[in-house]
Amino acid sequence: MTRAREVDGHRYDVIVVGAGMAGTLVAKRLGDQGWRVLVLEAGTKTLNTWPGHLDAMNTFYSSLIKVPNAPYRANTAAPSPSVLDTLPAKDGHGYRSVGYLVQDGPLPYGTDYLRADGGTGMHWLGLTPRMLPQDFKVRTEFGYGRDWPIGYDDLQHYYCEAEREIGVAGDTAEQAEAIGLPFPEGYVFPMHEIPSSYLDRVLARELDGKSVLDRYTQQQVELQVVNTPHGRNSTPNQAYDGGRGFRPESAAGLPNYGERCVGNSSCTPICPVQAKYNPLKTQERWNRKVTLVDRAVVSRVLVADNGRITGVEYQAYDDPGTPVATTHTVEADIVVVAAHAIETARLLLASEVANSSDQVGRNLMDHPVMLTWGLMPGQIGPFRGPGSTSGFEKFRMGDSRKKHAPWRLVIANWGWTWAAGSPGSDVADLLGIPDSPFKPRGKAVYGNQLRERLGDRIGRQVAFQFELEQDAQPGNRVTIDPRYRDALGNCRPILNYDLSDHVKKGMRAALDVSHQIFQLLGADERTAYPSDAPSYFQYDGAGYTFQGAGHGCGTHVMGDHRHNSVVDQWQRSWDHANLYLVGCGSMPSIGTSNPSLTMAALALRSVEKIHHDLMDLHRPLVLRPTPVPGYAQPREA
Amino acid sequence: MTTRDLLTGLTGFTDIEAPLAELEQPPFEIPRTVPKLRHFLQAALALEFLTIPPYLTAMYTIRPEANREAWYALRAVVMEEMLHMTLVANMLNAVGGKPVVADPEFVTDYPAKLPYARERVPIALRNFGREAVKTGLWIERPERMEDLPGTGEEPDPRGWTSIGQFYATIREGLVRLAERHPDLFSGDLAHQIGPEDFYNSGGMAFPVTDLASALKAIEVIAEQGEGVPGSIYNPDERLFGQAREVAHYFRFMEIYEERRYGPLDTPASGPTGPAMPVDWAAAYRIDPEAKVSDYPKGSQVRAAAEQFNLVYARLLLLLDRSFNGEPKQLQAAVPVMLELRDLAWQLYANPHPDPAKAARGVHASATFEITRAELTAAAAELDAGVGAAALLAALS
Ligand SMILES: Cc1cc2nc3c(=O)[nH]c(=O)nc-3n(C[C@H](O)[C@H](O)[C@H](O)COP(=O)(O)OP(=O)(O)OC[C@H]3O[C@@H](n4cnc5c(N)ncnc54)[C@H](O)[C@@H]3O)c2cc1C
Repeated sequence: MTRAREVDGHRYDVIVVGAGMAGTLVAKRLGDQGWRVLVLEAGTKTLNTWPGHLDAMNTFYSSLIKVPNAPYRANTAAPSPSVLDTLPAKDGHGYRSVGYLVQDGPLPYGTDYLRADGGTGMHWLGLTPRMLPQDFKVRTEFGYGRDWPIGYDDLQHYYCEAEREIGVAGDTAEQAEAIGLPFPEGYVFPMHEIPSSYLDRVLARELDGKSVLDRYTQQQVELQVVNTPHGRNSTPNQAYDGGRGFRPESAAGLPNYGERCVGNSSCTPICPVQAKYNPLKTQERWNRKVTLVDRAVVSRVLVADNGRITGVEYQAYDDPGTPVATTHTVEADIVVVAAHAIETARLLLASEVANSSDQVGRNLMDHPVMLTWGLMPGQIGPFRGPGSTSGFEKFRMGDSRKKHAPWRLVIANWGWTWAAGSPGSDVADLLGIPDSPFKPRGKAVYGNQLRERLGDRIGRQVAFQFELEQDAQPGNRVTIDPRYRDALGNCRPILNYDLSDHVKKGMRAALDVSHQIFQLLGADERTAYPSDAPSYFQYDGAGYTFQGAGHGCGTHVMGDHRHNSVVDQWQRSWDHANLYLVGCGSMPSIGTSNPSLTMAALALRSVEKIHHDLMDLHRPLVLRPTPVPGYAQPREA
Repeated sequence: MTTRDLLTGLTGFTDIEAPLAELEQPPFEIPRTVPKLRHFLQAALALEFLTIPPYLTAMYTIRPEANREAWYALRAVVMEEMLHMTLVANMLNAVGGKPVVADPEFVTDYPAKLPYARERVPIALRNFGREAVKTGLWIERPERMEDLPGTGEEPDPRGWTSIGQFYATIREGLVRLAERHPDLFSGDLAHQIGPEDFYNSGGMAFPVTDLASALKAIEVIAEQGEGVPGSIYNPDERLFGQAREVAHYFRFMEIYEERRYGPLDTPASGPTGPAMPVDWAAAYRIDPEAKVSDYPKGSQVRAAAEQFNLVYARLLLLLDRSFNGEPKQLQAAVPVMLELRDLAWQLYANPHPDPAKAARGVHASATFEITRAELTAAAAELDAGVGAAALLAALS
């Protein structure tokens, strides 16, 4: 249900700030339970109609550089960062940052997000691996980062629920066997696994059962290609839900469309058929208790004398091209901020709430991605199927984590797109077009020869994404400074970001593993890390570059004590009993799993607590003579 | 003599005078034996299939990016025709029949005569335009049902008058036979196609295992086309808990009238909702009676048209296998459908090789012609390992 954007004076049971994946799921479940929910979304909701989706597709097709935000139109009132904002420094050393994020740390945070209805989940890749049980206690087990106050078992039920909401495709038996993940007895994912790509199968044939050496532990690590769970439509599993099966969700705005992934491989930035899960699909199932107000930028969380949150203040604008807004307030019993790790921290800092621990904005994490690439001896057919369908999982676990950061070795199914701008860069290369206008043009090939050479080269491109776990570091943080504001006058996020030696050492070990794999494959390795790249750094005598994964985490960290964490195990602010901060920002450590499934599980877990809080608030008090703990006794007449 | 449908006021076509191909229709009687019932269901399979090439032609002749609303409406209709075909195959398998698809007899030539009708209405492969949409209206028209055939020993001399009547007759036959044959639905369950293998259409594919599921299949087929009686909507909301959708006849009406139905509209009111502009000129014009033999031997258009029919034959073979115990073959059939789309697009984008026709703006087209020769050649290709299955098999 959609209302006019001025809702002053109205009172809701719950206000949710942000209609991304986390906020959308929270609103869905609370609405289903009958609570009146107001969702305030900073961006527009153009994308939730089919014509809006087609407009994004056209924008994507015509954009020269297909970065994650390429399909989505700019919004001056609620700006989003772009990965194109990080540029090489003018003197050739380091980086400079233009655009929405202000960056002044040692290394660039090379990641974007999207401020539009649906949020960053519109251009996520859609991989949904669970975290490993050992990921929840990295400090105790491996001596780095931060432990969680809860563990895998506490999340088991909510993982299953999140897999239902998102619609996960995968093979539980393989996940249990190859990774050791515990599942409830008889549990299967809603859909069968997304078929592994041809490339995956070639790699499995060449590598399964072989092993590579970890230079720091001197241990052999066995290679095994394992299919990855996806939030993407595949063949429904008739055994799901006790034999009731599962119907894949259609595209938002077009019924009976996108019920299967058809392998377009442009998952990031946009799935043309919407077989990939996005939050708009869940919004289509919101009931009438949920009201979405878009173009409403929350500028302040309002707190009363007694520490309770009364509601929020927001700026309503009409035209995303004109940064002019009117300010309104709205009240609720409970406020849930789910505005993305960086934006939530920014909003809390601007509101001066929830920060008695001084941890708001700190511990910013991502999965730094180290890319390696090469040419295979034969055709391996990239660009058929999703961006990645499998990975090598053994590097995620075990005692090597004491020595260096672990990683997930992701098999990229989009050639050298990310690594080297393929296929555009291949065309330019074969046409002899140099990478700088100051260099002379080389020899070109045309016609049939060009086509054949391109087909040969692109068809043999393989790339690996080493996605490393980053440990929580208090110095990696989001701050604000009134001197840096956006067009509506809101403080922009200022980022200070660096990689710890634990991570850098992980990259060293990973690069070594990569060399060994290319050797086993008989491939021609082409990995190169130019020293003038924005993220270039040196470690232990070698140079590296890395990319951001888009997995912003840790900025309102969860813990077991109010002195050193922002939220408790329910993602409830220690400082304000009716303020919940929901999202990846709550995660104290992130393992090597793409974080959104775990985030969704946490969000659904919080919903139960919010539901109970609301019931307590609304249930009239009846005085009883002698309360027995946990049990209401019938009163004597 | 001008043709005119009494209930809807639809008028006929005057441009096609050549003799029309006729689909084989069972005699006008209630099927009283199991073999006769199977014969009826095989005829129903052919009937559902007949609608697909004209709808695909209308859809794929829309110029790129134009008429998107019409494009998605046609797409939804065509997907549901495929569902109907699948449900009929499930019914036929359920009563121990053997669906036949890869057979020249199964595939009609075009222009064909609208089956189960008294009127002479040509069903031709027309480019997107008012005539193509009107063809769809004729096929999907809601009917005032005339009596079912009598129950005498001999076929009733009156003859078929509507598709609805044909399905109502099958329904009647099913109910009667189920009473007398407790083991009527004893077909092999492994032949049934379910939601794992069929997707992206309104409603859903479900196994037919008893009288109830067979009757539900007939209900889906009848009502997705012409609507729940007295309404413009199909039964997906009631039968499958899905969003309410406008039935085929009324979707075509929206395109024809360039206006959507509003929430209060009825079949009698016609569409009174928001305007839905159609750019009738944004389509490749084609010859509705085109044959491969029209294209000069040795020309590229001829080669492309022949290639189209060869791939079309491959699709028929894969569908035949899918309906005969190998439902997973549908996974191989889907990419072939997309290949057909691409081949058809290439043809439509080319001017007709006949200069006189080209001068009138007529383009080449896919002809959907199938003879024994195409099927034999396509079977040989499949045996030789065309497609991805062979590639993957080579890996293991
Ligand atoms: C390129 C890329 C690929 C990714 N791939 C994966 C993957 O494969 N698997 C995985 O698990 N994760 C992936 N992620 C991460 C994933 O997208 C995020 O974890 C997830 O979308 C976070 O959801 P969220 O709801 O917390 O935040 P968001 O999705 O960012 O939503 C936040 C919402 O809040 C709104 N908002 C922000 N500020 C305000 C304000 N002041 N007032 C009102 N509303 C506001 C925003 O407009 C937005 O709609 C990827 C990320 C990127 C960038």
